Amino acid sequence: MKRRHFIQTAGAAALGAPLITAPMIPSARAQTATVRWWYHFDNPQNTPNELIAQFEKDNPGIKIQAESIPWGGGGDYYTRLFAAIVAKNAPDCAMVKLSSQAQLLEMDALEPIDGLIKNWAGKADISDNIWNVNKAQDGKQYYMPLQYVVLYLYYRADWLQAAGLQPPKTYEEFLAAAKAMTRGDVSGFGMRGGGGGHDNWAPFVVGNGATFAKGGMVSEQALAGNRFYVSLARDHKVTPASAASDGFRQIVDGFKAERTGMIIHHIGSANELVTALGDKVSAVPVPRPANGKGWTMFGDESNALLSGSKNKDAAFKWISFLSSGANNVAFNKLTGQLPVTTSGATSWTLHPKRFVDASAASLPLAGVLPDSPKTADFARTVWPTSMQRALLGQVTPDDMMKTIEAHYNG
Amino acid sequence: MTAASDTAPAPRLVLTPYLFLLPAMLVTLAVVLWPVAETVWMSLHNFILFKPRNVPFIGLGNFWRLLHDEVFWLSLGHSLVWISLVVGLQFLLGLVTALLLNQTFWWRSLARSLVIIPWALPSVIIGLTWTWMYDFNVGVLNDVLIRFGLIDKPVAWLAQPDSAFISIVVALIWQGFPFFAVTILAGLQTISAELYEAADMDGATRFQRLRFITLPAIADVIATALLLRTIWVANSLDVILVMTGGGPGYSTYTLPLYAFLKAYSGMEFGYGSALAIMLTLLLLLVVFIYVRRAARELDQ
Repeated sequence: MKRRHFIQTAGAAALGAPLITAPMIPSARAQTATVRWWYHFDNPQNTPNELIAQFEKDNPGIKIQAESIPWGGGGDYYTRLFAAIVAKNAPDCAMVKLSSQAQLLEMDALEPIDGLIKNWAGKADISDNIWNVNKAQDGKQYYMPLQYVVLYLYYRADWLQAAGLQPPKTYEEFLAAAKAMTRGDVSGFGMRGGGGGHDNWAPFVVGNGATFAKGGMVSEQALAGNRFYVSLARDHKVTPASAASDGFRQIVDGFKAERTGMIIHHIGSANELVTALGDKVSAVPVPRPANGKGWTMFGDESNALLSGSKNKDAAFKWISFLSSGANNVAFNKLTGQLPVTTSGATSWTLHPKRFVDASAASLPLAGVLPDSPKTADFARTVWPTSMQRALLGQVTPDDMMKTIEAHYNG
Repeated sequence: MTAASDTAPAPRLVLTPYLFLLPAMLVTLAVVLWPVAETVWMSLHNFILFKPRNVPFIGLGNFWRLLHDEVFWLSLGHSLVWISLVVGLQFLLGLVTALLLNQTFWWRSLARSLVIIPWALPSVIIGLTWTWMYDFNVGVLNDVLIRFGLIDKPVAWLAQPDSAFISIVVALIWQGFPFFAVTILAGLQTISAELYEAADMDGATRFQRLRFITLPAIADVIATALLLRTIWVANSLDVILVMTGGGPGYSTYTLPLYAFLKAYSGMEFGYGSALAIMLTLLLLLVVFIYVRRAARELDQ
């Protein structure tokens, strides 16, 4: 056989081989549904492998292909998710937050799960409050709750005690406490002016009566709340000089290094702070206005079933597995947040009780940012840029609020 | 003549060289030209990533918008200052380093290896490292300056507009000077020692040797390195993104960072593409000026 003929024959055989052998492959593969699931953990060393192994053992016909996607403050994760949806290569299900629900609905990317939930045995183990918070504006349920946190105030109990003060409940008490703890190179409040700081700002502005509806960011209460918050840095100087650029890591490390007396974050930081400071750190709900209403951020995380999935039933089995009793507890041990199941909450031992209590006490104040396509850009760019400009004196606090008003309602 | 023509081999198929080039051309088409065409297409549309069903054609609307966008002009101004400072100072430091590394000393090989480290590190690592060195509470820079009595209290390097910009410039100079050092060092090693011997015999000073022998001999290397680095620095956003994200306020916004944030934070891929195309056009101007200059030198 000439070399050319040999190559042609070999090539044809190679191309034809799959066609010949395909019918001979056992049908087991066709019966196995592979569910692609996107997730993100703060600590990438934690993996959900044990949960996956348990699920695959319980559901022999389903394989879980878990893909860890970089979070990048939310921007990286959602850009990849949106791009995958546009490219029709989205996963079957993915971890998502409420702040992106409107954008995902705009893309027709979400599958309603009301019918599936109705017949799911674990439904009653998740409180109605959590189901309601996760409901979309059209009244349908697209998100399967997975974990939550509520932002509260961490404070240095020993410093407050030395100053003869109680943990602050109102804005005035908060300012008094911050002033009392500000001395030398220590600042009373570790303000987060960088990315993600909107959830530290909202208790003072939304909590004082601001809303995201038309005119709600330029109402007298809204402007007053923002003036107060900016004045903590510019007038009262109870924040570090670095406040304008400080992000999550800086405020936590500053608190651990005993350079600040109070910070606002959720239970996800509790164990790290206790390791550094022991009993010196405690927590209470965020301060409220004199009328007692107040507001704090409900930090949600759910799983969503994506509409392009060809394995919707299998994908729902997986996301409902993660939101069920002991599995949900095991999942939250990986993420450091709180289980959404009532049974899981009662047996929760991962965090010291005082922080679980502070989370529970904050729930009546808890809310979410508006379910709007503009919320993601507000959190990632509009708020940090305008807040930093206000903190630097480049714009007035009122101009900052006009920028936010224009972003949502301009 | 006639006999020779009769025995000449038949002309080879002229398509052959193009067939050999075809794979590379196809790859270039797929990974360069197609994305460029896609970017141009997006820049002419109001393309918002989460509204894939509604992508209206708006012609040059995005370009008209950027001409009236205050942040665009601010970012452009920052970019010009940024490129001038970073490239200029990287070049000066690189030149000095190359001249030192061209001297003879016993640990020269080790020094040449060590100097490449900043260039070899990933930009994200460099951004994070410098962020924590500048940190207000736990940063080593404040600690050292206080210990030496140069400042009496910590400075929030990344929280003030002027110091944030300069702080990032310093980090970028540290990252990029090895490129100039290594490139110029390679050029220095091509200069004949006889030229320096002749200059010594004529009584030339060190500065005269540098001015009349070294710099003219490596002028082409320097020009190429400056051109390449200008394009790289003009395009780079990773270190700024990690260190400040453009803040505080808009004080460290540059044009590529603004385009990136518009596309990946605001999901405005249409407007982000228009900003990216504007940056490309400005850079093409730099390349054009350089090519014109180089062509003129060749003609002389």
